[in-house]
Parts: sequence; structure tokens; C-alpha cells
Amino acid sequence: MDVAKNLEHEIDDNDPTKKLALQIVKESEDDRLMRLSVGPQHPGSGHFRFTVTVDGDYIVHCDPDPGYVHRGEEKMCEYRTFIQNIPHLERPVIHDSSNIIYSYSLAVEQLVGIEVPRRGQFLRALASELDRQIYTLYWLGIYGIFLGHSTMFMWPVGDRELFIDLMDALTGARVTHAFNIPGGVRNDMPYGFKDKCLRNIAYFEKRLKEYEDIFYNNPLFRQRTEGVGILTKEDAIKLGVTGSVLRASGVPYDIRKAEPYDVYNEMDFKVQYMKSGDSFARSYVPLLDMKESCHIMRQLLDKMPESGEVRAKLQPTPKGPPGEAYRRVESGRGALGYYIVSDGSPKAYRVKMSVGSFRNMIALPHLLVGSKLADMPSVYWSLNYWPVEADR
Amino acid sequence: MATAPQGFRFGNFVGSLIWLILWIIIIASLIALPLIFVILFYVPLPPVNGEVLTPYLFLSMVVDPTRTLPIVHFIIHTDLFRIAVFPGFTFAALMAAVTIFVERKFLAKMQLRIGPLYCGKVEGVLQLLADGLKLVSKEIIIPSGADKPIFWAAPIAYVATAAAVVALIPAAPGWVGANVNVGLIAVFAILGFFPLIALLFSWASNSKYPFIGGLRALHQMIAFEIPFFLSALSVVLLAGSLNLTDIANAQHPYWFIFFLPISAFVFFISSLAELERIPFDLPEAESEIVAGWLTETSGMIYGLIQLGSYIKVYALSALFVVLFLGGWAGPQIFPKELMPAANATTAPPLLQLLTLQGVFNGGTASAIFWFTLKTFGIILLMLFIRGINPRIRIDILLHTGWYKLIVLTFINMFIALALIYSGILGPGGVLTVH
Amino acid sequence: MTSDPKDNPTNSITQQPSSSSSSSSQPPAKPAAQPPAKPEPEAPPFERGLVSQIISQFGNDKIKVPYIRPLRIKISVNPEDIVEVATFIRDNLGFDHAEAVSGTDYPKDDQIEVIYQLGSYSRDDIAGHVFSLATRTNRDDALLPTLINVYKSAEYHERETYEMLGVYFEGHPRNERFLLPEDWADLPPLRKEFKIRGR
Repeated sequence: MDVAKNLEHEIDDNDPTKKLALQIVKESEDDRLMRLSVGPQHPGSGHFRFTVTVDGDYIVHCDPDPGYVHRGEEKMCEYRTFIQNIPHLERPVIHDSSNIIYSYSLAVEQLVGIEVPRRGQFLRALASELDRQIYTLYWLGIYGIFLGHSTMFMWPVGDRELFIDLMDALTGARVTHAFNIPGGVRNDMPYGFKDKCLRNIAYFEKRLKEYEDIFYNNPLFRQRTEGVGILTKEDAIKLGVTGSVLRASGVPYDIRKAEPYDVYNEMDFKVQYMKSGDSFARSYVPLLDMKESCHIMRQLLDKMPESGEVRAKLQPTPKGPPGEAYRRVESGRGALGYYIVSDGSPKAYRVKMSVGSFRNMIALPHLLVGSKLADMPSVYWSLNYWPVEADR
Repeated sequence: MATAPQGFRFGNFVGSLIWLILWIIIIASLIALPLIFVILFYVPLPPVNGEVLTPYLFLSMVVDPTRTLPIVHFIIHTDLFRIAVFPGFTFAALMAAVTIFVERKFLAKMQLRIGPLYCGKVEGVLQLLADGLKLVSKEIIIPSGADKPIFWAAPIAYVATAAAVVALIPAAPGWVGANVNVGLIAVFAILGFFPLIALLFSWASNSKYPFIGGLRALHQMIAFEIPFFLSALSVVLLAGSLNLTDIANAQHPYWFIFFLPISAFVFFISSLAELERIPFDLPEAESEIVAGWLTETSGMIYGLIQLGSYIKVYALSALFVVLFLGGWAGPQIFPKELMPAANATTAPPLLQLLTLQGVFNGGTASAIFWFTLKTFGIILLMLFIRGINPRIRIDILLHTGWYKLIVLTFINMFIALALIYSGILGPGGVLTVH
Repeated sequence: MTSDPKDNPTNSITQQPSSSSSSSSQPPAKPAAQPPAKPEPEAPPFERGLVSQIISQFGNDKIKVPYIRPLRIKISVNPEDIVEVATFIRDNLGFDHAEAVSGTDYPKDDQIEVIYQLGSYSRDDIAGHVFSLATRTNRDDALLPTLINVYKSAEYHERETYEMLGVYFEGHPRNERFLLPEDWADLPPLRKEFKIRGR
């Protein structure tokens, strides 16, 4: 739209400024447009700010402004040893912490050269699936709030307690479990965990059917999400989005299938995807993922070896030869990759986290421009954006 | 308030109570009572049972039971009682309070939780009182650029308008705050004032989000006013009168909902939109525009607007009951007199007092009972819809209001006209019994 | 501007092939002054095939191959060639998006290395591969051409690299602060001379 061009920045190619000074943004005066800040002080945004410029009810410009929860995770990693990094690295996503440490552990194991025992691999995968459920249910609850549906908040958050109880029994903490470490997991399953887990999974699968009936078959929900914010397959690939957003646009890509890690090549599951690419598909694919996850969890509990070590023996400060490693894991938001450079010392030289939320953020201006202001919550939260993780 | 204050001494506490009572006696006897007598000297006092109702007569009913009942009877039938207590403001506020509490509990049960639990020994019944006290004690923050006279006047106007609607609705035969012959039109005229209040208040808030919210409220309320009174028009056609009491009486032996189901449905949906309840709470869409036109309200201003909102819930539910569900029609479950033997003049006066001779009317009591029950049923239906739906979008809302609902009301109006033409209903028809 | 990576083999931290004509199947065996680097195992044939396509297009002097591992390939190019090479990779090899763009500060080489991790969504045979395209630039005058016309998904990553390391991307519409606070007046944080206070 032409009006949006007035809000872009003037680029002076002859004199590239290389200072990180404040940039003064020139905005044109136009009575029709109103600039709203969907900012951190807003019940509909989380720890994230984006400004939208509206013309009546239509959004003509959107500019994300993350960084409210930026804590310098990557810089902090250079000051701590590999094991000391775990407590602060799991803070970006506190309830999906197993996945964010899983990827880190895989990269460190490749650098240092550790073999993970088989039972540890199964436990890691189990924790990863449980955390995926915990995260997706919370995300679904907040999606309900964004659409004004308080029951859609209460039910998933209530059912999430099933899995949080399981993680509490397994790791000792409800969130930020610090369960995965390079070399395996910290401790073994408690007695009776397998039965409790299977019971909770059976109850939860019944509840998923109820969710489908009450939430997804509600005509008002469908009206608000179907046909809204359509992300075509070509755009999804070009923009490099990941996770459920990608799968909802018709690309059946899942790291657990594309590049299986640990015991996932022995598990039998399908990649769930939908072709329509609208908000409804982006909100429905996580539900399908949850169903598939229950299936995977049953297989994991079935095939787990009866006994065995759960972690490899490590020095307190493991170190390996100089090198670099890049490993990825499928987390609740998408592909979570770690690029670790080691210089032979016990501390990492550089740790780079490639998180799904940051990669999905680029779809936000792409989808919002041209849509209505009333569609903003439905589009924004369906991009599976977790603000704390994107800021690291 | 979990710990006792330090330095608490019971003697001091009793002393402060006695001090308080002393001050009340002094003020009452030296200032209040003379003031009352001065006023009553100039105000003409009405006669009750052949005697003028002076304050002495009023106070003497404490000692003489035979005088109590005529005085009570007189007071109940004054206009002030009808407007202020029943079926006026106090009754509406009480129903609003019960509605708020039941809403929280009912919604909680639907959402697999418990709701208020701690205030009050039984399932948190005093929660509403606690919330009211909290709102009263909060600081009222007014934005610096806000238009102060309108900012203060709008919430009061909101409650006043809601109460004005309540004054027009009959709760029992003969019990209505204002028995106007054009009652239904008066209700709609007063309801048309609400969009104006919303817009004025949002404009006076001087902020972007209330601005958007006020415009949305305006669009929504105006869009749904037309289906609202078109659906009531079918009722008027069948009843032959605009007086709400007559409409309620005309629903012998069948309620209008059996002949006008589509109109009832449209009326219900339109009233949900007028009340800004989920799924139509766009003007207050939390996740998009913070709190819409209520963003800048705080403390008691917010409390007044909530009170007005729930009084409106009661008013529109009661209107639905009067128009479509037969008002107070229902089998008489209270006996005509509490004790027939106490009717004779030879009965002891205390027995007469206890059985409320002359005051208790079985017909009225059961009318009130059925009216309250039906109103409450409609309110529960509104709460239930809140629990299972997300919020609707503004363009779908306006499309529904301007196109679909108006078409539906016309369909039912033609059905009503056909029924009248064929002589089944309407004045002088086959099925009307007067 | 940028120094050739192969000029400083012994000082660099990551493994670089020592001699000029680096064929992809030579396991690099240079001893470092640091703890001994693990020798690279034999490179798998499929990945070797991918790299040989690039080398046959651009020649050995422009492309350096630090390592070829199963599912992970890393090549290193000069900044002036990077747009061409990236376009070739996108069109011919099928890597259609950039997963991440990370910058690493090597003060010992006086260089900053920027790595583009490229992935593929559309092709099944390289679905699990991550192709790392690296380039190096001077620390004092860090200037690189932007790749957002080739890979749109790198836009926000490049912006973050700008603010965290001070690398200016020519052609990027917004070289600005992104995650850092508005009043940040210090060094770019991921540079090695920026010390976290108290450590």
C-alpha cells in the first residue's frame, strides 16, 4: 500500500552508519492512520511489542519490536562451563525446558564425544514429549483468551496439570526441570511412574476429543479463524517458518522425521500437517501433534529397556577438542537448533540458539498487513510465538 | 487483616463502641429528630385508615400490632416503594448481585473449577460484598486530558438509564414503577440512550483504545436495535397493546413464545448484543483493545458501570419474560390467605399480625415467584452462552445484525399477521381469553 | 578488507584445510597448538557430491571447505562472492531457506565469521541437511553484503547480528537495534572485549 511507504526508512547507501545509535524515524502525518502500540502493557501481547498502523479497521503497517525479555543467554554461555549453562539456558521456555536443553545436550555430546546409554535416550525422549504437551496446552489456553473464550483457557490449563504432575514426579520440579544434561538425564524414573503416565495419557486422549467438539467445532471459532491470515506454502518456505506454522501451510516437515535423533528412528508416527494455511489450520495442527505425541509416548514407555544406566559418566567440567557442532530438535514451537563452537576449553566459545519463535516472527508483518485489526490476536498468537524464547 | 492489630485491648474497644453510640444518640436527638419534625410540619401527611400518618403513629405501631398492618399496607402501595424497592431499584440491584455471584459459580463449574470459595463460610457467598468494598476503597484515576464533567457524569447516567428501564417493567399484576400506556416504546426509547453514553464516555477518556471501543459499542448497539424492536413488534401485533401489563395479561392461555419462536430467538440475540455480553463483548474485547471503552475506569466508576450493566441484564431478561413467556403466568402455588381462620375479626390481633392479614395476597405472591423464576431462567441461559463461546468479530456482528436478524423478524411478523387475519389470535380471536 | 581464511591456518580455532587445492575428501591433519583436534572421518559421498557441484561451478580458489560431515556441510567464501554462491545454492542445490545467521568473533584472527545455516523444506533427500555458508570479515570495519534478496528468512537474523556484533549488512533496509534496549550506548555485546560485569 502506498501509505506504508511513507513509514519506511530512508536508506543512504553512500554513507553507511555503523553506530548503534538511536535512529530517528520519520513518520508522515496522515489523519486517516492511527498508530497503535500493541505493547507489553497489553492483555493481548505477552512480553512483546509490535506497533500497527491502522486505517479504519485495516492494518497497513506492522513492526515487531522484541527485546523486552532479552537476557543475553548467548553471551552468558561463554562465561560458564557446559554443565553450568543448563539452568539459565532453560529459562527462555520454562515449561518446555526439556526440549531446549535436549538440543544443547546433543550438540555438546557431539563436541565432547559422549555416548548416551539407551535407557537415558528413552527417558530424554519421554521428557521431551511430555514437555511438548505441557507447552502446547498452555499455548492453546492463551489462544482461547485471545479470542475471548475463557473456557478454552481453563480446560487446557487444567488438563496440563496431568503432565506437570508427571514431570514433577519424574524430575522434581514443575517447570524448569533441568532434567536433560549432556550425557543423558539426571535421574531415573520413580517407581510406578509408567502406570501413572499411561493412565494420564488415556484420560487426556479422551479430553482431546472433547476439545475438538467444543472448541474447534464451534461456529464462532471457525468464523474467526478460517480464512484468516493465510500463509501459502511458497511463502512459508521462503520465510523459513518452522514448527506447526510450517506444517499448517502444507509442508510435512518435522525434525523427528527428517533428521531423527536418539531413538526417534525406532518410533512409528506420522507427521501431521494441513494444507489450508489459515489460522484455523495453525491452531488445529498442534492438536493433531498432541494426539501423535500421546501415541509416541506409549511406544516409548513400551520399548524402554527395563534397566540400565541413564547417563554417561562425565567429568564435572567436560571439555572436548576444538570444533563446532550444530544440532536441532523439534520443540513445541519448531526447530530449535544450537550452534556451538568450542576452543578446547571447558567453556563454550560461542553458543548460538536458533529458536522457532524468532524464525516465525518474520511471518507476523507479512500476515498482518492487509488484514483487519480484529484478526490481529487470532493471527498473532497462531504463529506459535513465545516472546521470552525469541528474545533469549 | 489476618492478624489482630497491636496494642488491642478489649476495654478500649468497648469504650470506643460506647463513644460511637453516644455520638449517634446526640446527633439523632439534637439534630436529626428536630429536622424531621420541621420537615414534617410542612409536608402534608397522608391519612391511613382514617388517621393521619404522623411519626407518632408510625412509632406507635411498635407497641400496637393492630396498627402495623394498615401502615405497612399503605407504605407498600406508595409510588416511592414501587420505584425504590420492588419492583424497582432495590429488587433489580439484588437480582444483579445474585446474577454476578451465580455467574461466577456457574461459569466456574462449567470450566471445571470452583469459583469464589473463601469469603463467607458457605461457598463464598460474601464474595460480592468483598468486591464491592474493594471497589469503593480504590482510588479513582482520571487521565489528565480527559473531559472531566462527562467522565464523572457518564457512569451515573449509565446506572440511571438502566434503572429507568427497570421502572417500566411489571413484576406482578399492578406492580410496576410506571404504568405507561406506551410502555414498550418507552423502553426502547430509553435503551436508545446507551450508545450515546458509551460514545461520550469513550470520547471523554481521550485515549486510543477507548476510542476504538466506543466506536465499536456504537456500531454494535445501533445495529441491534432494529431487530430488537422489530421482534417486539410481532408481540404488539398479537397483544393489541403497547402497555406491558396488558401484554403480559394477553398471554392467556398460551404464551407468545409458542407462536413467535423466531421473534423470541431474535429478541434474545439482540438483547445479548445490547448487553455487551460474550459472544458480543467487542466493545470490551480484552485481548485486542485492552478494555475498550471501559479502559480508563477505575474504582467506583467501574463499579457503577458494572452495576448498571447487570441491572440491564435483569431488565432485558424481565422484558423477555413479559413479552414472550407470559410474565407472571403460572399456577398459583401460594394459598390465598395464610390462615383462613385468622380472617375473622374475632381472631387475636397477634395472629392477624403474623399471618399478614390485608397485606399478603396469594395471587401476587405466586405471580412474583413465577416472574422471578422465569427471569432467572433466562439469565442462566445468557450465562450458559457465555461459557461456551469465543468472541465474535465486528464485521460478522454487523452483517448478522443488519441482514440476517431483520429478515428473520419479518418472517415472524408475517406469521403473526396471518394468525390474526385468520382469527385465531388477537383481540376478539378464538384463543384469547380475558 | 577481509583476509583469506587459509592464510592463518594455525591460529584459527576451527579446522581449516591447510593446502591450496582443498579436495573435499582429504581429512585435514594439521596439529594445532591447542588440545589435539580430532581427525575428521571420511566424508560421505552424497555430501561430497553436493560440494563438488559448487566447486565445479565456482572453482577451488573461491570455495574453501572446512568440513563435510554426515548431514552437515560447511563451506567458506569471500564476502564478494557470497551472493552468487548463495543464489547458486538456492537454485541448484535446493536449500530454500536460511535457518539462522550467527556471527562469531575471533579476535585472534582479527576477524568476525558470519555463518548462514541453510536448510531445505521442499526436497526430501536433503531434508535433514544443514548447509553452513560461512564468510569472514574484518573486525574493525565489518561490512558484508546482505543475503535477504536470496533468503528472505535471514532478515531479522542479520539485523540481530548487526546489533550484537557490529557487522553492517549492505543492502539491508534496517541496520538497527532490535533486541537491545533503546538506550544502548555500549559495545556490541557479543564481541569478546565486552565483558559482563562481575565476571
